Amino acid sequence: MVAFEVPEIDYTRYTNRQLAAVPLAVLAVALLIIAGWYAATGVPVNPGLEFTGGAEIRVAVDAPDGQARERIQQAFDPAPETIRGVPSDNTYILTFQTEEVGVSALEEQARAAGFEVQSSYTVSPSFGSRTQLLALGGVAFAFLGMSALVFLMFRTFVPSVAVVISAFSDIVIPVALMNVLDIELTLGTVAALLMIIGYSVDSDILLNNHILRRSGEFYESTHRAMRTGVTMTLTSLAAMTVMTIVATLFGIQLLAAIGTVLVFGLSADLMNTYMLNLSLLRWYKYEGVAN
Amino acid sequence: MGVVRENWRIFLLIVVLLGSLFALFSPTVAEGGAEAPGVASSGATNLQYGLQLSGGTRIRAPLVGVTAAEVEYGDVETPEAEREVAGRLGDVSVADVIVRPTSETSGTVEVTADGVTPAELGRALDAAGYEYAETRNGVTEETRAQTVDILADKINEAGLSGGTVQQIQTPTGENFILVEVPDANRQRVVDLVNQRGSVRVDAYYPSDGGYEQTTVLERDDFQSIGNAQQGGEGQLPNVPVVVREDVAPRFQQQMSQSGLAGQGGSRCSYTTSPNSTDACLLLIVDGQVVNSFGMSPGLAASMQSGDWAQDPRFVLQTQNFSESRQVAINLRAGALPAQLDIGPDGEGTSSFIAPSQGEQFRIDSLLTGIIAVFAVAGVVFLRYGEVEVALPMIVTALSEVVILLGFAAGIGYPLDLSVIAGFIAVIGTGVDDLIIIADEVMAQGDVNSRRVFQSRFRKAFWVIGAAAATTIIAMSPLAVLSLGDLQGFAIFTILGVVVGVLLTRPAYGDILRALLTRDD
Repeated sequence: MVAFEVPEIDYTRYTNRQLAAVPLAVLAVALLIIAGWYAATGVPVNPGLEFTGGAEIRVAVDAPDGQARERIQQAFDPAPETIRGVPSDNTYILTFQTEEVGVSALEEQARAAGFEVQSSYTVSPSFGSRTQLLALGGVAFAFLGMSALVFLMFRTFVPSVAVVISAFSDIVIPVALMNVLDIELTLGTVAALLMIIGYSVDSDILLNNHILRRSGEFYESTHRAMRTGVTMTLTSLAAMTVMTIVATLFGIQLLAAIGTVLVFGLSADLMNTYMLNLSLLRWYKYEGVAN
Repeated sequence: MGVVRENWRIFLLIVVLLGSLFALFSPTVAEGGAEAPGVASSGATNLQYGLQLSGGTRIRAPLVGVTAAEVEYGDVETPEAEREVAGRLGDVSVADVIVRPTSETSGTVEVTADGVTPAELGRALDAAGYEYAETRNGVTEETRAQTVDILADKINEAGLSGGTVQQIQTPTGENFILVEVPDANRQRVVDLVNQRGSVRVDAYYPSDGGYEQTTVLERDDFQSIGNAQQGGEGQLPNVPVVVREDVAPRFQQQMSQSGLAGQGGSRCSYTTSPNSTDACLLLIVDGQVVNSFGMSPGLAASMQSGDWAQDPRFVLQTQNFSESRQVAINLRAGALPAQLDIGPDGEGTSSFIAPSQGEQFRIDSLLTGIIAVFAVAGVVFLRYGEVEVALPMIVTALSEVVILLGFAAGIGYPLDLSVIAGFIAVIGTGVDDLIIIADEVMAQGDVNSRRVFQSRFRKAFWVIGAAAATTIIAMSPLAVLSLGDLQGFAIFTILGVVVGVLLTRPAYGDILRALLTRDD
């Protein structure tokens, strides 16, 4: 069996400044995108149906793709905001962001046009905005809780801050990517953001632990931590990539959303842990601690 | 015995695994769980599936209403106070005002009509001269509990088996009613819960040149309510009822006096000529006249003679059978004290999933999970290249999922898509931690003594514990916040981490030790 090895990177070739520059630049770009989005639309990321209110129905249409879309356009009044085809069966997921027509009426229209209603979902705007508030509060609480825990575990400023900044960037980058790729904030993506907090901190803690709490030379510790950490992240990344692809094919939106955002977050984490967190740790180890 | 003491963690894991398998497959466990409402159990396992994976309708909405606390209405009787408040609120009917006394002279006042604001209720109370502590949106706990009971009755009466109604409270103090009905059409459930369902019978009769209308029978006046009848042979669909013995004489007298039980009965033409009809009985549901009917000569005669009260049977006629059914359901379950706030401008959410779709999701999500496991396994095998290390890793991670599935089956927790996502997350974190253990233990050459193994294992566990703690912290808001679909995800991710840290990951350590240290 062919075993792959995590390559050993010669960190001595790069200064701390060089190492930190890339992830910080990416973080800055991500923050800019989010700020720009906020300035343009009034929200940091487009909220999905669950937060804005609206209706979503999934219909089975017995027709080839192009024709089916046309029939869908004609069948509904108001016309659906988005139409998404599910590759594995002949169904389409339609969303409506309208308050005038109830979901019952939309179901009627679908049946009248000869479509089979597979599922329907409706959220009122006020319920949605309440949910949004709860979700954002949840993410904030999770982040603060994680930060407090990290400070308690390491009890030193720089290493703890390094973990917290990495985790922050791990969340911000996927959010910016969501804007760029037109992925809406849903309950699934909120769950994924929370999972990023849980997942991404693992490799940071591992790195800090190896460098700070173990005997051994800095680069050697780093390499050992990387061997484990990169393997961890790669397995998760593999699982999530596959889950995203399969769930998209099957039209299971919740799983697809969680998978997509986690893929972004885990990739960002690879960069942040082994460039940003590492450079801060090296600075702390060699210059920050008076020895 | 030495082997057992050495490897007790592995044995503990095996025992727990067997327990989980028992919970999953034993028919004895299913007896208690299958009755769990709102979910469908199916197939060879005792697993229960939620609406997303079995199909059905879910409605979550607050109740319409505003409440004033500690209203001082003095020595006025409560019905009097209700009329007073309703009168000051314009077009709010008395039925929409509920006064619940908390002491001799005060109580809470609820208005359950749509569109009344707390401020309006405040002004109405001021106008009536009642002092009050505060007004707010929402209704009282009693009203919510009553609504839940009546809704549950209605769903049962309508023959929608397995339906549940429950009250949920968000940590921010808001209250919602959650209705879940498997396999049912969304519209049918919405119709059912949307109807307040107050049924009454009014007498409509000529007097002094005009017509008068008085309520003669209400829900409490019936001793028993029969099943809706199809009718046929000149008979309309109807609900046979028996009027209570102590009410029957009064009703009989009213019938005679109003002329309904006159000579030869009465012929009702309320719908076509309401101003020149004989006396009529009107069946009124939620303020709407559903049907009007007269009285047959035979029944009229027995009422006049007073014989009817000895055997006070009666039929409530409707225009069609589905109306009969609704009337029967409403009479048995009673009227809702407050309505669910659903609809386009409401504050609720509803979802419907076709049973076929649910089943498809069940298969698809299972496939997704299995494929994700294969992806993880592939990376692990590629990375270690040693079956001895990698295979136990995959088996251990999968055993976590089996334990969680067993747990879900044991407590009857319905599986939904979010729970499946939780399982996948658990496999992910589980394998991550096993990688930490494996790398740590195998670092720097062979593990040749148990002492070396122990010290390395302990080091690895510090990281695992720290990572587990952060995951639990990150997931805890979702586990307690009522964000609906995601609660199951968070609960099972947290459970998986706990099971992993306490049970499976230590056991994996033992397995590795048995495989790597050869000094036994």
